[in-house]
Amino acid sequence: MLKKRLIGMVTVKSGWAVQSIGYKRYLPLGKPECLIENLDRWGVDEILVQVIDRAVHGGAPDFALLEKIARQGLETPLIYSGGICTIESGVLAIQAGADRLVVDGLLHDDPSIVCGLSERLGAQAIIAALPVSRYFDRVEWLDYRTRRSSPISAEVISLIETGVVSEILLIDWRHEGYPHAFDQGLASNFPLKNVPLIVFGGISDSIQIAELLQMKNVFAAAVGNFLNYREHAAQKLKEALLGMAVRNPSYESKYSSFSNV
Amino acid sequence: MKYITLGVVDYGIGNHASVVHSLRELGYRVRVSAEAEVLDATDILILPGVGAFPSAMQALHERELVGYIQQKARDQRPIIGICLGMHLLAGASHEIQYTAGLDIIPGEVVPLSGAKWHIGWNTLECVVADSLIQASDSQSFYFNHSFCYQGPVEYHLGISRHFQSLVSVIKRGSVVGMQFHPEKSQRAGRDLLKNLISGLTNA
Repeated sequence: MLKKRLIGMVTVKSGWAVQSIGYKRYLPLGKPECLIENLDRWGVDEILVQVIDRAVHGGAPDFALLEKIARQGLETPLIYSGGICTIESGVLAIQAGADRLVVDGLLHDDPSIVCGLSERLGAQAIIAALPVSRYFDRVEWLDYRTRRSSPISAEVISLIETGVVSEILLIDWRHEGYPHAFDQGLASNFPLKNVPLIVFGGISDSIQIAELLQMKNVFAAAVGNFLNYREHAAQKLKEALLGMAVRNPSYESKYSSFSNV
Repeated sequence: MKYITLGVVDYGIGNHASVVHSLRELGYRVRVSAEAEVLDATDILILPGVGAFPSAMQALHERELVGYIQQKARDQRPIIGICLGMHLLAGASHEIQYTAGLDIIPGEVVPLSGAKWHIGWNTLECVVADSLIQASDSQSFYFNHSFCYQGPVEYHLGISRHFQSLVSVIKRGSVVGMQFHPEKSQRAGRDLLKNLISGLTNA
């Protein structure tokens, strides 16, 4: 049986891992590779690294960071987001070590490139990020570069319906960084019911994650800031989710052979 | 003590870093190459792969690796195909366009039925008693694919369930294909790779 996933999110700005709050305040956490190493050791189901200042500066993916991560030899699948603006840059990001890619700005700028990426890498490797908020009963889609929201375009809806991307990263950007704040209505009212969702933004505790993962269209919950407050945070969350269709927590040391000494 | 050396077939598709790192962590010597002389000096060939079937086969043809890998299979050299690498072992694939494969394990690669994709962690069920993967029965592995192997039951070693059952491990002689990514499956993947490599080299 396919399990629902707990994803560890690492947000990177100016080369540093940061806590991001509401898409506007950032507090430094340290070196991204240290956080990524912890998530790998804690056995999260996937790691999502989002570099949030690549597209703003017109840059390519952060290949230097991807190479550093590749040298770490992760045993956890890696999703990469940030600066993917051409088919070639997406292919290079995969070759540099990413297993899957998230596209965001491209959905606003040139959805045809998303189609091209999907043809080259397979739709299973492509995730569409939709930072959204609710305005009365309407779901509004944010262009994080201009800070303007608008309804999700018909072109993007069509792109998703035709299976060019495999999952949607549905981000409650207004509540990002606030505990237990994710607006579940965003997931339950999402217009495309048969598209798998990864939910993110203001997700902090096991009760909330359990509620979200019980929704038929939610396949994964991504947790960012709240995994950084204590050791083994991912395992603790998984322990609290025992009995759900989630992979069990695992505790291990890379130095387990010491026990035989 | 004889070291086991693994030859990762480099045909220019996808990223080998995780596979190579994972195998080295297990204590094996690893060579990454498209050259016959280098691969000849290894104990097991590893065929990784991420991407689409037609471009992968084209890349194998361009590097004159199709005949080489087929000959090694005939010579009973152990071969392990991972994800797309498992698909390449089949006779043909319907991905994008009908494309002939290496035809080492009879069968075809077809779209998943019941779902567009199979992404995430799923349980492996061994369907043959006392096989090389028996110790991994009921363990979870990471899958990420939209096409799957379909072929005679005699080659099935393991299955997984996503709407319908799908073949997740195949074997013919010394050639094994895995639909999931053991190198991205944490401890379960490490244990499976170790048992498999040990079993294939001691066979």
